[in-house]
Parts: sequence; C-alpha cells; structure tokens
Amino acid sequence: MSTMASVTTNTAPAPPDILTKPAARVLSEALGDNVLSIEDFRGDLAITVERKTWVEAVRLLRDHPELGYELFLDLCGVDFLDREDRPERFEVVLHLYSVSHKHHVRLKTPVPESDPKVDTITDVFRGASWFEREAWDLYGIVFEGHPKLIRLLTHDSFVGHPLRKDYPTARRFVLKDAKKMLLDVPEGAEGLVVNIGPSHPSMHGAFRVQALLDGETVQDAEAEIGYMHRNFEKMAEERTYWQVIPYTDRLNYCSSFMNGHGWALAVEKLLGVPAPPRAEAIRVILSEFSRIMDHIICVSTNVVDLGGITPYFIMFRAREVIYELLEACCGARLTVSYVRIGGLAQDVPDDFEARCRKALAAVRDVWKAAHELLTRNVIVMNRFKDVGVMDRDEALSWGWTGPCLRGSGVDYDVRKDHPYSGYDSYDFDVPVGTNGDCFDRYLVRMEEMRQSTRIIEQALARLPSGPVITDDKRVALPPKSEVYSNIEALMNHFKLVYEGILPPAGEAYGYTEGANGELGYYIVSDGRKHPWRLKVRPPCYNIYQAFPHMIQGEMLADAIATIGGLNVIAGELDR
Amino acid sequence: MGLLDLFKGKFVDPTYPGVHGGGNIITTSLNAVVRWGRRSSIWPMPFGTACCAIEFMALAASHYDLARFGAEVLRFTPRQSDLLFVAGTIPDKLGPVIRTIYGQMPEPKWVISMGVCASTGGFYRSYHVMQGIDEVVPVDVYVPGCPPSPEGLIAAVMKIQEMIKNGEQTKSPQGAHRVGAAGAGAIDRRARREAWAKDDAARREQGKPPRGVLSLPVIQEPSRDVHNG
Repeated sequence: MSTMASVTTNTAPAPPDILTKPAARVLSEALGDNVLSIEDFRGDLAITVERKTWVEAVRLLRDHPELGYELFLDLCGVDFLDREDRPERFEVVLHLYSVSHKHHVRLKTPVPESDPKVDTITDVFRGASWFEREAWDLYGIVFEGHPKLIRLLTHDSFVGHPLRKDYPTARRFVLKDAKKMLLDVPEGAEGLVVNIGPSHPSMHGAFRVQALLDGETVQDAEAEIGYMHRNFEKMAEERTYWQVIPYTDRLNYCSSFMNGHGWALAVEKLLGVPAPPRAEAIRVILSEFSRIMDHIICVSTNVVDLGGITPYFIMFRAREVIYELLEACCGARLTVSYVRIGGLAQDVPDDFEARCRKALAAVRDVWKAAHELLTRNVIVMNRFKDVGVMDRDEALSWGWTGPCLRGSGVDYDVRKDHPYSGYDSYDFDVPVGTNGDCFDRYLVRMEEMRQSTRIIEQALARLPSGPVITDDKRVALPPKSEVYSNIEALMNHFKLVYEGILPPAGEAYGYTEGANGELGYYIVSDGRKHPWRLKVRPPCYNIYQAFPHMIQGEMLADAIATIGGLNVIAGELDR
Repeated sequence: MGLLDLFKGKFVDPTYPGVHGGGNIITTSLNAVVRWGRRSSIWPMPFGTACCAIEFMALAASHYDLARFGAEVLRFTPRQSDLLFVAGTIPDKLGPVIRTIYGQMPEPKWVISMGVCASTGGFYRSYHVMQGIDEVVPVDVYVPGCPPSPEGLIAAVMKIQEMIKNGEQTKSPQGAHRVGAAGAGAIDRRARREAWAKDDAARREQGKPPRGVLSLPVIQEPSRDVHNG
C-alpha cells in the first residue's frame, strides 16, 4: 500500500522492479516504443499505450499465457481539460483482472480532442459494449467499430457530453416523448413486442427490457438503462472526499454501508492512511450485516416474482432488526453515512454487542424459515433449475463478479483473494456453484448469508478496543471537546474543514466485495480537495448488460425468474 | 364484531350529530359516505425508482403494516389505483413515463411525493435529474427525508385520508413553470472562475487589489508542517 510512485517513459530506462511485473514486461517487449509509460502507484500497475496499439494490447493482456487477464472489470473515459501535465485531453482507461494469477492491471491510452476516436474492444470483451457507449455518451469519445454507439445513460433529447469538464453541472434538457422502440423489428414481422419496464413489478427499480416474442419464447431482447442516472460521478467532482460519502450510500441502497466502506478504503489507499483496528472490525461487522440485508432483498423479491409472497414477509423481519442496529449506531436506517475517511463517524453504542446478537438471532431465525420454505420447494426448483444459465467463460467476458460469478463456478471473492479490513483473519468459506443457473445463484446467496453470520460471530468475539478513527490530523477531524479547549485542535479542525483532505496527485483503484460483486472506485486525484475524476465500477452494470442475451430463446416467465436473481439495483446501475 | 353491530350502533358515537335513536338511525350525505369509503380503502401504486422504494417496502412489510390504514392493496398498474407513491429520484428520462402513469390513473387521484429527490431533486442538482416531480404532475403531499421514515409515510397517508375527507385534490403541477430549469445550488464553476478572473483583471487595470484580499502584516514564522498547526 505504501509503494513509492515511480514513473517511467520510453525515454528513461524503466526501473527493474517494475519490469518484473509480467504485464509490464510482456507489453513492453511486444509493443516496444508504443508503451508510453508504466507506473506503479499504491500497488496499482498502470500501463499507458499508444492509441493505435490499443486493441492489440488488450488482446495480449487477455490471451498471453503468463497474464490471462480474462475478467473484464471496467472501462471509462477521463477528461483532462486544461491540464498541462497530460499530452492529450482525453484518456480511455481499462481495468482488467486475472482470475488465475490474481492481479489487476490498468491500461490507458491518450485520446486527442481534435480526433476523439479509439478502436472498439467489444470483440475482445463482450462486456465492453455498454462501457464504450457510456464513454461516448458522457465524454464524446468515439469507439470505431462499435456495433451500436448510441446514448445509454442520458435521454434522447440530450445535447452535449455531460461529464466533460466544460459542461455545466446543472444544465438540463427536457425529454418530451419516451423512446418507443429499442429493437429493430422489421415491418410486418409476426412477433409480439413486449415492453417490460421502466415501471413494472418484476423490474426491481427503473429499467427496461423490450422483448420480441414468438408465442411465449423470447426471440430477441434489448435493454435500456439510464432511468436512474443521477450523475453521481459529476457531483463527486464538485464535492470533497467526505462529501462523497452520502452519495455512495445511494449507489446500492439495499446495502448502503458497504458502499461507504469501499469508498473509505479507496480513499485510504490513495492517502496511504489506514483505519484503526476497531474501526475495521466494526466496518466488517456492519458490512456483513449489510450483505445479509442485500441478499434478503434479492432472495425474497425474487420469490415474490414467482408468486410466493410469504418469504418476503418473513425475511423482512430480520431487515427491521438490522435497521434498528444501524439506527443505534448512526441514527439512520437506510442511508447510513457512517464511515469517515480513516475510520468511523463515532463509536458504536454500549449495547452494540447485544444488538448484534439480537440481529444475528433474527437472521438465523428467518434464514431457517426461508430455507425450509424455499430450498426444497418444488415450485422454486422447477422455476430456477436450468434457467438463466451462464457459463464460466461468458461470465468472465461480460465482467460478472460476486455471487452471480461464483454461481457460474468461478472462485473469486475479493475478501479471500485480496483481503481488506482484516478479512484474512476470519475463518469463512466461499460458496461456488456448478451450473450457473438461477438455482445456483440462489444457493450461493443463501450460503453467503450463513458465512456472513460466521464472520460477524468471530468479529464480535474479538472486537478490539481503542479509537475508531485515525489520529492523522490531515484526514480526521479532532474531537469536539479538544476543538473547544485547545488552539491546536481548533486550527486542525479549521484547516481540514477549509482545505479538505488533500491526497497526493495520482490514481488509485480501490475495490471491495460488494453485495452483488466487485465494487470498485477509480479515483483520479490532482492533489486538490475534489476528486478530478471518480469512476464507480458498479457490479450489476456488467450483470444486467448480459441479461438481454441470456433470455434469448428462453420463455418469458423464465426471464422474470432470472432478473430477480441477478439483483440489479438501479441506483448502482445508472449511478 | 360484524357489520350488523355497526348498524346497530354499537360502534357509533350516539352523541355525534346525525346519529339518532341511539345509533339506530344515521343521517348523512352521500358524499360523506363515498369519501369515507374512499379514504378507508386507498389502493396505492408504488412508483419506486431508488432508495425510497426500499423504505416503502419496509412500510408495506409486516413491521409497519400499511394495512392498518386500509392502504395495503398495492397495485402495480395505474389503472387500478387512486394514490401514486413516487418513491425515489426521477431523472429527466423518466419524465414522460411518470406523466403517462399519472394520466392512466382514473379520477379522483392523489400523489404522494416521497423523499427530497422526488420533491425537489434533493442533493442531485445536476444535468439529468428532475428538480421535483411537480414539474410534470400535481403533488398532494410532500414527505421530507432521505429517505423518509416509515412513520413519516404513515403520516402522509393519513394526510391524504384527511384530504379525501375534505374533498381536496391538487389539479395542476405546481412547478410547471420551471420545467427543465437548471438545479438551483449547482454552479457553473468554470464560468464563475472566468468571471472572477475578468473582475480581477479589470480591478488591476484601475490599480486596485482583487476583491476579498485583506492586507495584513505578514508574520515570519519558522516553517512547520502545514497540517499540524
């Protein structure tokens, strides 16, 4: 975490320690002068290549036997308007992960403003399709060869590319009529076109699928998102690092605490300031409770879609108890804003352990009831088994992570493979499915809830004492009592409020295991108090992207059973 | 306790005006009876888009139990409902959708705007978020909070019941005059920075210092870590 920044370009010889990293070595051997720079900052390997070798580099990263970066994570644009230190205005940034070798890589390419074009990588990674559309929509970067480069997040009456730095934050355009057709249905076609969403009981949130039916079989489907695009990334560019915390709560609002946890860890990684052990343990406890809450929503609403409403009423009882626990800790039920950079807002109440035990008991109670109602239920089995099958390689290419990827048989869990917040000191298992169908995803979620209770038990048994926020005065506010009685604390307080947290200039990708997958925050900092660019890697974005392709050839009712088990959360999907 | 008991006057306050013969005879207006029926059997349609929808689920679930107010029959089609719960942020992309949904509801109909995002855009003062659903649909009750607590929502439902009892209904969108207006509070920082630079240059030409600069004597101090006081 505390690696010194070292930058190399092709004019200066690269330090040998960077070239020992396989990705750096392979790319510089294969591409030569087309590798513009290789950086290693905070343990993130970042390689910048020439635009003309973009696709070649991506292919090499995926296919080279030593690298094997087969999990597509994220692709985004960055706008460096008026920045003297950057050669071109735009940059396209790709994040990949190698499941076999367990490391990340960041690949970048500069794109000039006068000719904002890059070749598409949709042939290499299927999941890149929506990311490229998004980068076009928000930055106006054209991906040549993309099959359908149209607006994704903003609406059709929108003019301009809103995430460019010269676009005013609040300039709006009014949409008069919704888009009627998403699919290209030929004139006189016999099939029936069905719209599911944006307001539909089985769409858990505002998103839309249009399906062309032949009888009850889906022939073709197309999805549309952006109905919940509320500009988290643009807002974050105008907020300080603390002020982003309430926005993160509203990404995946079913498990708010985990988003804040991930955000705090990402900023702490950028700053190089760890949180104290007590704060980390409390974060783990509340994150695992949030995971349970999220899985409860996913499983229970999925079963509501199948027509069984009882599990919903039963399982929500546990959510209420967890809500009470969160309310006791921070005063809010759903959108908690409890983390701070470097720790937590305040210590937990005295009866924290008792409340946790009560919540654990409630979780076990409803888990058992739901398990007895559902797992061997013949209706659930018939509706879930061999439905919505996603095989391993496809899932990786789409960029699936989390319970859905593990349901498809890939053993990748950030908590195990890249432990954070002390997850390596807890004993827990990672359930992995075999068939990749809805039933496996259901089983993975049920087992994860059980494993979460195990982690909470262990964390409670050895909850360390001590402070809950770091004493680094550049990051954390001093206690109020000291501010009122001590001039130094007063000045620290003033400086911190006035100037904000000032991280070093650089880039960091912080990633945690969110409830539906790898939740990543890619922060570009220019050393000032606002992030220059913040890109969220929302897990369900990749998952939902695959959905219209999964349901082709299946029955319409199976599509409904599938969507609930993917746990798509609109706030996180569209940000 | 059956319907017969009610008519026998067992649960009717005999001192109430319009109640005669110990509750055996009730005189009232047809309007009052209809409104009594309406307010006791609201069929809401939840139009949940974001975080507020999760809190709405908590309201509908067993702990808070909306059924106590006769409003538990959630309909996911606007054609069968008379109360629209708009729960969550409404981006501009959903503008036509929410207008269609409101138009499909049969009269009389009421709208609850749940949470600050639906009411004013909340802290999303940005390029794609409607700054309050009253730009396109009339709103009867605004519930503050992010998200509002279920108790707040129960109060809102009771407020709607009161409005039904009094025969009140909002007919036109209150914020129609500001459709598409930029969110208040969000600034075009670049324009502001340029305006400041222009102002500074103009003052420099006149030989004046830039605005907001105080000239204080500089105290020389040994340099210390800037953040540690």
